[in-house]
Amino acid sequence: MTIASEETRLEAVFSGFQRQGTQPVITVVADRCAGCQECVIRCPVGALSMDTGRWIAQGHSDLCVGCRQCVRTCPFSAIYIEGDLQLGERSLLEDREPEELLYNVDELRQGFQNFEEAYAEASRCLTCPDPTCVRGCPTHNDIPGFIAAIRENDLGKAASILGKTSCMPDICSRVCNQASQCEGACSWSLAQGVPVAIGKLERYITDNFKLDMPKVSEEKKNLKVAIVGSGPGAIAAAWELTQQGASVDVFEKDDRPGGLIVWGIPDFTLPAEIATRPWRQLEAAGVNLFCNHKIEPSEIDSLLGKYDHVILAYGASLPIKTSAPGSDHRGVTDATTFLQTAQTNLAAGGNKKEFFAALGLSRPSLNGEEALSESMASEENSYHILVLGAGNTAMDVARTARRFGLGATCIDWVDEKFAIARPDEVAEARNEGVEILFSTTLHEILADNGKVSGAELAQTQQERADKLPKVLTNRLSKMPVDLVVMAMGYRIDPGFASVFPPLPRNRTVSWQDSMRWAASGILAAKASPFAYGADVGQLSLRREDALLQVGTPYRDRLWVIGDALIGPATVVEAMAHGKQCARSLVRSFDAEDNKDSFDGMKVLVCYDSLGGTTKHVAETIAGFLPESIAGATVKSINDVNKFDVMEADLMVCGTWIEGMILAKVGPSKHMMRWIAGLSDLYDKRVSLFCTYGFNPKNSLEKMEAIFLQKGAKVVGKLAVKASDAKTKETEKTVASFTAEMLSKRKVKFLKR
Amino acid sequence: MTIELDRDFLPEEDDDENRRPGTASAPGRHSANDPVSVAVKLRPPVRIGIEERFHNSDPDKKLEVSKTKLARRLLANRKLQFLLILPNQIVFWTVIFVGLFGTTVPGLNFGAAITWYVWFCLVFVMMVVVGRAWCSMCPFGGFGEWIQRRTFWKRTQKALGLGKKLPEPVARYGFLIPVLSFLILTWIEEFFNIAGPGNPADTAWMVVGIVSFALLFFLVFERRTFCRYFCPLTSLIGTVGSMGSVAGFRTKDRDVCLQCKTKDCMRGNSKGFGCPWYTWPGSADSNLYCGLCSECYKTCPEGNVGLFVQKPLTSVVNPSRRRADIAWAIALLWGLVLYQQINATNVYTSVDNWLNKEMSFVHYPNPVAYTGLIVALAAVMAGVGLLFSKVLARKDLNYVQAGDFVDKKSKFRAFFLPAMYGLIPVVGADYFARQLPKFFKHSARLVPAVGHLFGTGGGTASSVYAFHIINNSWIVVVQVAIIGLGTLGSLWAMWRITKRDLIPVSKNAIAVRMATTSLVLVCGLAASVLYVAMHAAS
Repeated sequence: MTIASEETRLEAVFSGFQRQGTQPVITVVADRCAGCQECVIRCPVGALSMDTGRWIAQGHSDLCVGCRQCVRTCPFSAIYIEGDLQLGERSLLEDREPEELLYNVDELRQGFQNFEEAYAEASRCLTCPDPTCVRGCPTHNDIPGFIAAIRENDLGKAASILGKTSCMPDICSRVCNQASQCEGACSWSLAQGVPVAIGKLERYITDNFKLDMPKVSEEKKNLKVAIVGSGPGAIAAAWELTQQGASVDVFEKDDRPGGLIVWGIPDFTLPAEIATRPWRQLEAAGVNLFCNHKIEPSEIDSLLGKYDHVILAYGASLPIKTSAPGSDHRGVTDATTFLQTAQTNLAAGGNKKEFFAALGLSRPSLNGEEALSESMASEENSYHILVLGAGNTAMDVARTARRFGLGATCIDWVDEKFAIARPDEVAEARNEGVEILFSTTLHEILADNGKVSGAELAQTQQERADKLPKVLTNRLSKMPVDLVVMAMGYRIDPGFASVFPPLPRNRTVSWQDSMRWAASGILAAKASPFAYGADVGQLSLRREDALLQVGTPYRDRLWVIGDALIGPATVVEAMAHGKQCARSLVRSFDAEDNKDSFDGMKVLVCYDSLGGTTKHVAETIAGFLPESIAGATVKSINDVNKFDVMEADLMVCGTWIEGMILAKVGPSKHMMRWIAGLSDLYDKRVSLFCTYGFNPKNSLEKMEAIFLQKGAKVVGKLAVKASDAKTKETEKTVASFTAEMLSKRKVKFLKR
Repeated sequence: MTIELDRDFLPEEDDDENRRPGTASAPGRHSANDPVSVAVKLRPPVRIGIEERFHNSDPDKKLEVSKTKLARRLLANRKLQFLLILPNQIVFWTVIFVGLFGTTVPGLNFGAAITWYVWFCLVFVMMVVVGRAWCSMCPFGGFGEWIQRRTFWKRTQKALGLGKKLPEPVARYGFLIPVLSFLILTWIEEFFNIAGPGNPADTAWMVVGIVSFALLFFLVFERRTFCRYFCPLTSLIGTVGSMGSVAGFRTKDRDVCLQCKTKDCMRGNSKGFGCPWYTWPGSADSNLYCGLCSECYKTCPEGNVGLFVQKPLTSVVNPSRRRADIAWAIALLWGLVLYQQINATNVYTSVDNWLNKEMSFVHYPNPVAYTGLIVALAAVMAGVGLLFSKVLARKDLNYVQAGDFVDKKSKFRAFFLPAMYGLIPVVGADYFARQLPKFFKHSARLVPAVGHLFGTGGGTASSVYAFHIINNSWIVVVQVAIIGLGTLGSLWAMWRITKRDLIPVSKNAIAVRMATTSLVLVCGLAASVLYVAMHAAS
């Protein structure tokens, strides 16, 4: 970047930025600063430069705005900033208070009304060079980019920036928990300040700019894809596939598409008009939708017979049931049934009687009547429901219940400190008269003539977030209840899970993938109290791991995404999966039969080298690769991340041999750990080599076994004696090894 | 899938003049592919001034010792440092136990004998030859580090303890803090006559004290804050150690370091911890703060870190950045070692006695006399620096008063700092010479002391117990010879330093050469004369 462009950049950043509070003072500890420039290359406002004489960073306090990214990114904690965050007040939009709750489905949360409001908020963004918000966003929206476009009042540009990574910004901006994603990871939030209202700004764009249809490619591909499920993951996959010219058939078990975003989120949070927008556009763009069409696990194979690729995006929609005694009584239902019934009823204008009848609510029993308090005795509150759970779904259930005049109590056995629901949603629910009891669990459901009449609750105690609460059965209390709604969360359909083990998959964070994140500073602090102190760094790294798993098929031509892959997660994560999966899928489809050419093939040669011999052999192998393989990279496994692995058409993996001459001989533990940490490598061609001192024994077989477990195909094995590594003889062997593995390569890869 | 390559460091955004020729950012080389890179627009790192800043101190590429296969295997092994620390750990726990529960005869007590007759001397040899060799095997820091890391050698992720950063107001004084702790420890040692050695239990308690102190700091602060800022020995090892011939772990190609976007050597990765000493191989210009722990060697994803050797005195002469804390440390350490020589003379004894009587202080060493004399001697050195700057400085020298204690520039500092660096060899030689009598006279006692542990060896009656390697007169000769050697080293170092740092700021090259040469000679002479006087006194 030249100095001129740096000035332009800063001018843009500061054009509407309002400084507040005391001017921060930067202190660089001259003794500890090593001049590594991690702060200099990242400071949003250029307040740090190099004192080249002393070769340490020097601070320019007059430019500093106090965001402290330098403090978070400095590896040696050599920077101290004193003083306020020079940050204007966040435009806090007052959410609408419903005057009359009954049947009220109006959206409560408000967006910016005009450009001035949006501009004021957009001006709080620093356009960080290494933006942590983008890492916090599961789909990696270019947040500084679209905010800059808002400042320029170019909503078209902003929408097209969003469109690159997201096909439902209107939905995400409403339902995302920004506090644990982009806003939690905003530099201001990590500095314990109030983050930029990224969600509201995203919403401002979509409120004021009509979102484009999928841009259907003129060039139709002869690619037929079936998607099972029609939720956010399926929407994003269908969107991307349609844009790339594929023909897409979607099978939905319900009578309308959209999955959870349509029936799972009440209208007062996500208006139906918006929730149904993607599918209206997708259908208009030519996606074939088959509703009321449940695909059984056993039918997947026949689908694969009819389609080129199949994407499973059936989500995790099976409600978790309570195991408390009495759960088989009449009057115990689940959140899905409750919300779907309510939505149908409200869509028709709302009718209590019909709603109560549909849920099987009749007059309260005598038992309950005695205990009903006076306020509840009125007609409006004549029924009381108990919601099991206090997560976001439970809040939706309880708040919907309030819209039918029902009294509602949510119970959750965790301590409020460790609650999973969004604190703002909990506050909204309480504001609407929902009673939320934390540290309380259901002991028994009481019944009268087989019909729910009350609940016995027990107190719990929880000391740490990672410890399960203890149930205190000596502290029981009774509560009259007419309906029990189980909203403890969802799980994936065990029918599918048993056919496709090991789903849902675990998400693991590895060092290789986290280094760039650590450098950005996102791991160095938790979100601010405004964003409820979430550990956004770790959260986003875990999301990233799942996103990287999506790029590899589950097995031949079969892909799994979203909740189906990782268990219950969020709308935006599923959407990110859909997009990523579609891109990988098209790439693998576009791969051409390249029997005679290597044009465009990607080869990754990775090694764990101790003394350099293994590295030397790795480089020799790369040297024998035909020149037409442009995408050949040689890297230490420390440098390879899951992304590199995902991209490679052929992977060559080499290690040194650990152990005594005879005992404990094997591939380096570091290498074995690294392989074990990789995601599935379905159908990946892998070739193995090792360099040994005395005898490699069965080292290559050990490596092979673990690669096979991951679904890879091993196409070559070579053991090189370290002392001969540089001889002509070895060179010949390596040449023929390279030639052989290339002959066994997957012949389909992307021609570029 | 579309991957947008990192836009940072891309050639078109690079300032061509700002890049070293032939080091164009090779695509893919550093691309820890970052899916987020769509929005990442890092500034390119500054490369201006690198040549001037580092060309003096960068080690000769031919002097890399980590090229051999064996060295690479050793350095990459996580157990290396553990294996270095382990024997010392065993010895020092033995020192504690034998010191507390063994014989009270100092010469026969293994703990006291090995510490004061042999160990202290060995540490000096190591620091003069290697630098921070002792730090890589130190049982005090090693013990704290094991606990802090909760492992002997593995890479663990979660540290035990609070992991605090050392507050800036303290950290800014850098090297002065360990000098202070060295002065305090030496006073305590003199007061209780620990190193005499006196009662072996005192030696044991001192070791226990250091270990506990170290452990406390390891549990409160992050990394090796104790070693870098508080360890009494670090003041000596960091200054005198710069004579050593090991340059430490350094970058092989600085441009690779600058382009690195993850700085694994500083932050740590799966292969190792981030540098415990707060040193970046990419900018290290001396062996001052390289603890030779090899973590950076293990972590570098590019294999761009090497272990280098250098010619003796390189780290004294070559660094471009002269630090005020180091200069003051040298002045104070010089004051301390002279004090230890002067205190053996009859004149000092009567002064100390008189002061103790006046102040009702129990016995030698009188704290006022102790600090007074050391500070006065350091002040003399500062006075010399001031005198140089007054008399020799060019008239047009004009330094803007800015920066902090370590790096501030002034006319006085322009002369004082380089002059103190030049004195390092003579100061080091003086410390070394002072350890020699104990070694020459009593190191043989280690044999009966070890024997005593097993109930053999003849005790104080054995002929080995009384064996002196050389007699007193020869000891003085050797001491003066060592000082002579140190003086020669200083003369050479000062000659080079004067040429590079002082002549450009002086009005007369010959005058400044004469001044600095005389300073070295006077110091060398003073130390030699004092050894002769001490011998006469004893």
